Amino acid sequence: MYGRRASQLLKEVDSCEAGQLVPFNSDVFDQVIRECNEHNTQFQSLIRKMVEQNLDIETTRNDDHYGAAVHHLSLLRNKRCLMAYMYNRAEVIQSFRWKIGPVLPHEIQEKLHFSEKEYFKNHSAAIKSYMSEMDIDLTVDMVPPKDPYIQVRVLEDIGEVSLGDHSISLTKNSLHFLRRTDTEQFISQFWISDMELVRKHNQADSKQEW
Amino acid sequence: MPGYYDIDDILMEEEPISVVFQVSANGVGLLDPGAERNSVEKGAKVDLPFWLAHGLLSLEQAVSINVPPCFTQKTRKEIQADAACVDLRIRCPYFYELGCKIVPLVNDRSIGLFLRYAFTSRYKEILSKSHSSSMMTVPKFVPRLTKEEAQVFESARDSMTAFKKWRAGGVRLQKASILGRKRKTKLPDGPSAP
Amino acid sequence: MSSWEDDDSAAAAAAAAAASTDVELLKRAWRNEKASPEILRFDSPLVSRVREQIQLLEETLDDFGESGVDDLVVSLYQMDLDRTLFLLRSYLRLRLQKIEKYMMHISKSEDLLSRLSQQEQRFAKSCTEMMEKHLEQSVLSKLPYGYDSVTRQSLSSTEDDMVPEPQLDTFVFCKTKSDVGAFQLDDIGEEVVDLVADDLYVLRYKSIKGLVESGQIDLI
Repeated sequence: MYGRRASQLLKEVDSCEAGQLVPFNSDVFDQVIRECNEHNTQFQSLIRKMVEQNLDIETTRNDDHYGAAVHHLSLLRNKRCLMAYMYNRAEVIQSFRWKIGPVLPHEIQEKLHFSEKEYFKNHSAAIKSYMSEMDIDLTVDMVPPKDPYIQVRVLEDIGEVSLGDHSISLTKNSLHFLRRTDTEQFISQFWISDMELVRKHNQADSKQEW
Repeated sequence: MPGYYDIDDILMEEEPISVVFQVSANGVGLLDPGAERNSVEKGAKVDLPFWLAHGLLSLEQAVSINVPPCFTQKTRKEIQADAACVDLRIRCPYFYELGCKIVPLVNDRSIGLFLRYAFTSRYKEILSKSHSSSMMTVPKFVPRLTKEEAQVFESARDSMTAFKKWRAGGVRLQKASILGRKRKTKLPDGPSAP
Repeated sequence: MSSWEDDDSAAAAAAAAAASTDVELLKRAWRNEKASPEILRFDSPLVSRVREQIQLLEETLDDFGESGVDDLVVSLYQMDLDRTLFLLRSYLRLRLQKIEKYMMHISKSEDLLSRLSQQEQRFAKSCTEMMEKHLEQSVLSKLPYGYDSVTRQSLSSTEDDMVPEPQLDTFVFCKTKSDVGAFQLDDIGEEVVDLVADDLYVLRYKSIKGLVESGQIDLI
């Protein structure tokens, strides 16, 4: 059936958990592009047939016209699927800038079309230039603050880090009591963990609260 | 009006609709498995995806649409007997959305009332189950829900979980979920969402 | 609605505004922005006032550090600062994300663009250009002539039928700040609701849009 392959692309997106990304399916994508051009060829040849019979293609309603209409509608449908596939992926990709940061890990890079990589870079740059124009960093402070200081444990060697007016050395497994705002970027990248969070987790494990 | 890029709307429009061609169309024999030439004859009865049936009807009046089986009297009687028990997903995962789009195409205004009845009578059940079921198990009626209903169920359950978490004082900073998934194994005592 | 009632509610709104601090006003703008389906007007003066206050707080905290003020007092000030900073960041972030979502729609409407700050306008513009370039090179350039527009499905479309728009007829929770009186929810006057002060309602955003803009009703 016409348009079936194109809808497969969207089924893939749909079956994927919200906010996640499936690898770009270039095989099906390219096939659908070919289908679009095939529909166009058929459409054109039916129209040509009408022109050759000296029929007015605006007003004539014959078998060729209705055939052409089916190809036109199918092309629109395929276009919509392709565009929605790219657009919805792009929305997920731009959300990565907020969730992960300006550099994507290898496992995500692998899933992207070349144009998507470029889009991510450009989009990150637009956010960066907004933040520098406004002179404010919007990538920290993602959740409402409670205590200004938190205890954290370092999960991976990070090395010397400058925090505001002083610098400290974050070596693996060391414990620190730091300003929450300073630690956030590391927590979201999973380099250090919030001890409060770890304790809560362990408690929950032992008590099976939920 | 759902947007051009709306995935649910696009997938909903893939639902098969039985139509009867009121005209003949050349060069599209693929649509009719019984066609002898590369064309569809007038009077041919074929299943088309909703988007094509809709386009051919509204732009060209080239087909007439039969009411899909999930809105016929038989289903209505089942819904009236015990709404919550009917497996709507198997009939059509986009039952309500398709229903709304079908109404203007077939002359049957009673479909609207039927949809409303089905939704409200099932809604009660969904809400009470979603508040009482735990995050770990999936109640056995969930596979019977349409996509929209399943979303209502999920969000009701999530908000109940969030409420319980808030009452108990839950975690505050969270790792990016997209990263956590991959690295979880490396970090034996790493936190994960409860 | 008679005119004196209008004046009355406007005066009440003004009084309420005068009684709140800038941080509270920002919190209100943040809450409204969060619940509204479309982008609201950016309050530049408010944001710059809040930023001044943040700077002042930071300077105060630095002074505390030097003069050895009690740690408890310092951490209270710090907490206040953190909360204000969070609010500001979250507000700006929320707006950027909304712009990302409806960039094409916003970029083609002068009215919507005028609701954005200068910086947001530049952001919206470059976002739209980048998205269009991305769709162009990955999909549209490979489609046949007549089907390669990013705003119209094909040459036979008579209007922009591809641009995503916010759904203004969605339902929102809202709270009245003062008596509004009998309020018409639809165009033909069939649905009228009496909006009294400090009450909660669930209404279509489209119908109360004007009240949100004039500050008579808050979204929650």
